[in-house]
Amino acid sequence: MSARNPGTDFDLEWLSKVRVNTQAVLKRAQHIQGLKLPKKQWQTAWLLKAASCIDLTTLAGDDTPSNVHRLCMKAIQPVRYDLLRRMDMHDKGLTTAAVCVYPSRVADAVRSLKAANSCLPVASVATGFPAGQTPLETRLQEVRMAVRDGATEIDIVINRTLALTGQWEVMYREIVQFREACGDAHMKTILATGDLGTFTNIYKASMVAMMAGSDFIKTSTGKEAVNATYPVAIVMVRAIRDYFLRTGHKVGFKPAGGIRTAQEALVWLTLIKEELGNDWLHPHLFRLGASSLLADIERQVRI
Amino acid sequence: MADSTNPTVYEIFESMEQGPAAATSTPTAQAWLDHHSRSLGFFMDGKFILPADRRSLSLTDSKGGVVCSTVCAEDADVSQCASSAAAGWKSWSSLSCSQRAKALLRLVGVLGLHGQCVSELCALCEASCSPTALVRLLQYYSSWAQLRDTLIPGWTPVGVVVVVSSDDCSLYSLMLKVLPALAMGNSVIVVPGRSAAPPTLLLAQLFTGAGLPAGALNILTGSDVTLGAKVSRNPDVRLIAYCGNKQDGLALCKASAGMGVPVSVSSCVGATCPFIIFESADIDSAVDEVIQIAFKKKEVHWVLCVQESVSDSVVARLKLRMANIKSVPLSSDADRVLVDAAVQEALQQGATLVQPCGVSPGARYPPTVLCGAAPSSPYVVTPPPGPLLPLLMFRSNTEAVLLGNHSPHGHAASIWTEDLTLALETAKSLSVGSVWVNSSSVSDPCFPVSGHKDSGTGTDGGQEGLYQFLRPSFSSPLPRPSPVSLEYSKFGTEAAQVVIPDSTDGASIPQSYPQFVGGKACKSVSGCSVAVQAPGGDSVLAFCPDGGRKDVRNAVEAAIKVQPGWMKKSPSARAQSLYSLAKGLESRRKEVSASVGAQLGVPAEEADREVELSVGRLNVWAAYCDKVQGGSPPMTQSGAALSFPEPLGVVGIVLPDNAPLLSMVTVLGAAIATGNAVVMVPSQRFPLPALAFVQVLQSSDLPAGLVNIITGNRDQLTVALANHSVIKAIWYWGSAQGCQYLQHTCTSPLKTLRLSWQQDGEGRGAAPDWAQPHPSLMEDLWRNAVQWKSVWIPTA
Repeated sequence: MSARNPGTDFDLEWLSKVRVNTQAVLKRAQHIQGLKLPKKQWQTAWLLKAASCIDLTTLAGDDTPSNVHRLCMKAIQPVRYDLLRRMDMHDKGLTTAAVCVYPSRVADAVRSLKAANSCLPVASVATGFPAGQTPLETRLQEVRMAVRDGATEIDIVINRTLALTGQWEVMYREIVQFREACGDAHMKTILATGDLGTFTNIYKASMVAMMAGSDFIKTSTGKEAVNATYPVAIVMVRAIRDYFLRTGHKVGFKPAGGIRTAQEALVWLTLIKEELGNDWLHPHLFRLGASSLLADIERQVRI
Repeated sequence: MADSTNPTVYEIFESMEQGPAAATSTPTAQAWLDHHSRSLGFFMDGKFILPADRRSLSLTDSKGGVVCSTVCAEDADVSQCASSAAAGWKSWSSLSCSQRAKALLRLVGVLGLHGQCVSELCALCEASCSPTALVRLLQYYSSWAQLRDTLIPGWTPVGVVVVVSSDDCSLYSLMLKVLPALAMGNSVIVVPGRSAAPPTLLLAQLFTGAGLPAGALNILTGSDVTLGAKVSRNPDVRLIAYCGNKQDGLALCKASAGMGVPVSVSSCVGATCPFIIFESADIDSAVDEVIQIAFKKKEVHWVLCVQESVSDSVVARLKLRMANIKSVPLSSDADRVLVDAAVQEALQQGATLVQPCGVSPGARYPPTVLCGAAPSSPYVVTPPPGPLLPLLMFRSNTEAVLLGNHSPHGHAASIWTEDLTLALETAKSLSVGSVWVNSSSVSDPCFPVSGHKDSGTGTDGGQEGLYQFLRPSFSSPLPRPSPVSLEYSKFGTEAAQVVIPDSTDGASIPQSYPQFVGGKACKSVSGCSVAVQAPGGDSVLAFCPDGGRKDVRNAVEAAIKVQPGWMKKSPSARAQSLYSLAKGLESRRKEVSASVGAQLGVPAEEADREVELSVGRLNVWAAYCDKVQGGSPPMTQSGAALSFPEPLGVVGIVLPDNAPLLSMVTVLGAAIATGNAVVMVPSQRFPLPALAFVQVLQSSDLPAGLVNIITGNRDQLTVALANHSVIKAIWYWGSAQGCQYLQHTCTSPLKTLRLSWQQDGEGRGAAPDWAQPHPSLMEDLWRNAVQWKSVWIPTA
């Protein structure tokens, strides 16, 4: 994995000049959805790439060690061996990017993966997921405990109250603390864009999250009314590009919530390729948060 | 087993290449072409006609393959086509409005059935036009066909309209002329450019199949646009509407000079359009749009203007976004030479390049941004045919407008800012027909758009765009003159007839009148005077100044100083000025009436009546001031749009002989009520009423220089007006030769012409009866005095 984003000092000026034209973003999103998608073996390769970028997720109240174990096994072997063999991809170490679970299930996931001799990262949501409406102290504690249990990636949620009331610097300081609590674990910051109201707020929240040292910014928890949409993604990846131009650091992007079909996965890859270029088309800079997408990809992968 | 055209899954997995674009197949279009043996003829009398022994031209696609061939019309075909159109006009114009509307609506259904074939053929011929855009045009104009007599009473179709396009013009621009002409009840002869010819022929076939009467739509193909002038010799032709590049448009104007057919030019192809990014813009969206539009094969050339404070971030984003773009095919090796030369020149002048990859020799060139261009750079003035985009920087909002208005074109502009006030101010100040705020290159037929400056002389779209295809019903069309061989460089140079004053009677030395330039009553620059003869021509009535080029120059200089201020005045302030002008005329009615009487040799009652009508006419124009207004056309997407009439600027007017006072105040009122300044040349034979009016003007509160009156030799002054580059429009009542001269000469810069020739002798000719205040006469006049601008403000 390449160098992590160390973050920067809080700079209000980066936020104050932000302008987002809603209709232009919507038009751009429509344009991207209308682009021709790859066909034939290109489609197959792209779908496998999508599979390799998935954070295979289960975030449910009824998660138990057994279904987390099944999830881990699926993550290690995301596409049937015989299918992969037919396209000569069986020996390329294809796995999903990570598994993603609640903090209490981290230990189960780590155990399952260790038993299967896999070093696949375990990601844990934290900081009062999904609402983030718990005291800062318990949110920090949650992060530390997930890391202690063996999570190497932490998906934190931002405090939307701070974002909606424009307290960007307070939010910055909170995220900096989360990042400290993460230690070596990579931090993905969930903006819960469905709650933020405007594109401008989404852009600002993205920027604050990156300034505070996030390794990824992530669209949603999957629990809001509106989840990952293409226009929101365009705003966020533009913020990523802006941050890259200002600092030279590449921050990853993770859309999550509601991504179910192989077709959608191809559009997501196209969007990233169009907006950020091929550099971002790797699991270390792009993740798809999904639980049922993999099944559809497996159905569509044919040669 | 793995090669570059058939990589393995793993290779693609690593490279994340997109894969080859699927080859576009065009089976239905090919079948249609095969059905015509790939050799397309003309379309007239409702059927295809392919005469033998005609020179044929082949149309090639981007890869050099022959798509089909079209034939070049000869004189026999031209006259056959004209008579087909004349017959078509009879049957089409005699239908009722709703019958025409129904016929046009049926075409929508036909297009639905054959849309595939149309779009494939357009793609083959590179005359891009989506069937949905055509359907929108048809629906819009069929509703106008239905409502013509309801919403535009008092107007009738002009007759046969010739629509001409240049080789590089899109099918959409062409149909934007053809369909309104048909909707208003005219028959149409289309002389399409090479690329638009096959799809136009297909449409003509489809439309006729759907019930358009034979002859209503005729297609004639040839080798160049002057075929349009040839077919216009037919006396039934009443209008030539042109769209395409500027050079061909000018050639057409010259070729048709003297035929007495007005030419409305829309030079939409090849215009330079500014793309202005302010610091208050959504920079990322703006850059996206640049990437989308700037490097494609396109009808217009974009020039990117970026505010200095954000130029670094714009360039940085351009670099990132352009990294993925593939090279663009050029149409020929000659183009490659031009592009290379332009880039070399730019580098020598210190420009820096933004290019995705190295330049490889051959027929493809990578998209290139030339940073550090100046408005004077040769590659900005005459852009080479390739994917080059000059980038200019500006400091302030005013400078942005200056840069945006720098080119001679006035087609369109795209401006990017989130600041609504700035957007509207900029939109107002740019002299272009379409302003796209935070968007670009959108069009819809309900928006009235005039080409400003060199981009045209007509208005397309909206109700405003229909009037070019109509004439006031009360007026009878002028008899058509035929072009004479005219030595254009000698026109207006012959010396005036010298009249030696017969001053035997010292008591009655004729009075010397001054002319009116820049708000001052003065002599001509040359100091010479000419005699004004009394009716019957036996005695000298008075002397008037013999104005010339320098007088015109002084007048225009004064006019351009005050016109912007006059234009910006509130309509009610302009109305007040006109009301007080009317009052001023009323208070001097005796003197003015005396001069009318003396000049025309008519009884006092008749002269009084003309003055009275003139006072009334000025009051009517005063009332019009705040009634000439734009609106907010409905948008097809969400958002708001505005359309406004804008004055042309300085209008040169050569006044008619009949009703010298009334005709003068009528056209004067139309011009200044809408915000223009005027330089008027009174009738050479009857100048006294106008000169008497000078006193009224002097005591009025009109800004000095807004109205100028220069007397003298008509032809000489016509030449002076025609050759002044600032004058945007000329309204001319005069000789047929004068009309021919103007149409031939007023091409650089392009002037909007409104030409009426009066038959010699009585001077009463076919000019309108000025005493009758027909609403359509007034409408015709003010519509000729404005140009339209549409502003798009799309929102979410």
